[in-house]
Amino acid sequence: MIFTIFKKELKDTLRDRRTLMMMIVIPVLIFPVIMNVFMGISSSYQEEAATKSLQIGVINPDHVLIDELKNIPAAMGKKDVIIYKDTTAMLADLKKDSIQLGFYTQNDFSKMLTEKNPANVRVYFNATDVGMQERGEAYIKIIEEKAKKIRYAELKLNEKELTPIVTEYKNIASDKEMIGKLAGGILPYIFIAFGFIGCMYPAIDLFTGEKERGTIETLLTTPIARWQILFGKMGVVVLSGLMASISALFGLYLSIEVFKMVEDPELLAIIHSILSPGFILMLFGLLFPLTIFFAGVMIPIAIHAKSFKEAQSIITPLNIVMVLPAMVGFFPGIELNGVTACIPVVNVVLATKELIAGTLDIGLLSLSFIVMILLALTAVFISYKRFDKETNVITEIKIFDVIFGTYLHEERQL
Amino acid sequence: MIEVSHICKEFVLTKQQQKELNTTDKISKAVDDISFTCQSGRVFSLLGPNGAGKTTTLRMLSTIFKPTSGSIQIAGIDAVKFPQEARKKIGFLTGSTGLYARLTPNELIAYFAELYGVSKQDLTERKERLYSLLNMHDFQNKRIGKLSTGMKQKVSICRTMIHNPDVVIFDEPTSGLDVITAENIIQLIRDCKNEGKTVIFSSHIMSEVDLLCDDVAIVDKGKLLFNGTMSDFRGQMQADNLTAEFIRIVNENRIIN
Repeated sequence: MIFTIFKKELKDTLRDRRTLMMMIVIPVLIFPVIMNVFMGISSSYQEEAATKSLQIGVINPDHVLIDELKNIPAAMGKKDVIIYKDTTAMLADLKKDSIQLGFYTQNDFSKMLTEKNPANVRVYFNATDVGMQERGEAYIKIIEEKAKKIRYAELKLNEKELTPIVTEYKNIASDKEMIGKLAGGILPYIFIAFGFIGCMYPAIDLFTGEKERGTIETLLTTPIARWQILFGKMGVVVLSGLMASISALFGLYLSIEVFKMVEDPELLAIIHSILSPGFILMLFGLLFPLTIFFAGVMIPIAIHAKSFKEAQSIITPLNIVMVLPAMVGFFPGIELNGVTACIPVVNVVLATKELIAGTLDIGLLSLSFIVMILLALTAVFISYKRFDKETNVITEIKIFDVIFGTYLHEERQL
Repeated sequence: MIEVSHICKEFVLTKQQQKELNTTDKISKAVDDISFTCQSGRVFSLLGPNGAGKTTTLRMLSTIFKPTSGSIQIAGIDAVKFPQEARKKIGFLTGSTGLYARLTPNELIAYFAELYGVSKQDLTERKERLYSLLNMHDFQNKRIGKLSTGMKQKVSICRTMIHNPDVVIFDEPTSGLDVITAENIIQLIRDCKNEGKTVIFSSHIMSEVDLLCDDVAIVDKGKLLFNGTMSDFRGQMQADNLTAEFIRIVNENRIIN
């Protein structure tokens, strides 16, 4: 009988345009749209970086720094050097982005270099203009290295003897790990967000909607136990949530394999190695109890609400509360441990991140899974208790009127 | 046959409800010690003003609500102890019955038949009979949301009767319906009676009660004020007509209490 109810509710749900939009259309489109926008911005940024000349303002009365800057090869980025006489004009232009970097030296810059004293340079930059500080540092480093070499030669010093330690930094993390740890939070966030949104409309429609339309009363007169009705309906709510996540995954597949939005072969190979059938299976293994938990949280609200509008006004803000913890995945450094494995949503995001990076501890994965199963069971139990309460299933206003109608309206009715 | 014995139904009031009603009572009695019997092949009418406890009583009979105390026998089954078994024997139709707008009549009837455990052969036969009786063939595959009120009510009737119930409960089935659709319901009630089914009929329209009912009970404020045959009721009448007599009985009871 649960399956009979499930079948009917699924058919009913799939005929609801609003649910279809939230369950299939939007999730399928989300990755192609995001990737299209991201790739568009990224390529236009790269194109701009490659073609646009950096405007560099310089105050250097003896022209040594100006010459040095001009000598820096264009391979480090195209640049135009603009000479200023005072800092006020240069800073004003820097503020309005006419120039992106400003170099300032005293009159004695050349003299200090020749006399082997430290020569001061002040570099002005706007920190909101990303990458400008690094560009300034790179230019200065080239000039400094050149000056150092001249001094070593003049002082007849061996450069190697003045370098006691040569440090080499090697990153042992694979590209897959790097992507997993740094960007792996985005993937579960999107699946979790859609898992929630996918559950939302069916939960409201199948419980509050049925109360509002008066169909629940008919259903309750059939020889079916209430728990069977609940489970049949809940199955559709959970399936809708999972369908939304699967649709998002399908959208990701379309973006990569059909629309070919990832052109870099190395990145493509990493993505292919991440999105293995095993990974997808484990991801949905974690999403399944989470979706039951979402359904179990929404259903008691939907049962309690007197109207579709009321249910929607409670569940929509709940979206923020439930899905916001999924954003911890965006912050590098937060890892799955004994504590985070016990926090719902957070544990799924962090476990997925570790799964992408290939660094997942099976004990912590099991703990996350057990926590989610326990929470899902608790949510199902609460839903059952709410649905089993007869005054919750029949619209409360109706019952209220039935009991008190006599007192409130007796004169009018008679 | 239905046997109702000393049923009561209490509801716990929320603080908000207490505040709105200016009462400190935590419990309210919607039905207070009601007993009656409905015989097979007869139409039993349950009358009362709005909020009298009729719908709560009918919901207890249809096992949507569980009585706080008392017993209900539906076609020989203890409906309090075995509600699911009792529901197999009941068909429940209200004027405000909602239908699934995104399904077609065919899909809806098949769904309810499956829930009631009706075999495919029985479903085909009964559906054909009911469709012919109610002229439903033309719209059997249209979405219910696109049907007129009258068509929807026919679908409701078909849904109520598809499992061939022994007991049929009609709670204000003609309220808000046009004359032609209401006449369909009246005819259905007559058919049920002729087939030997137990029929409970609740209505505000006294002409329908006069036309259809064999037995009558009047309830108000959850209490039973009158229980007997229609001929007894007519015999004891002090007013000129049924409506006036009904109002007289309710008012007299309220003055006494």
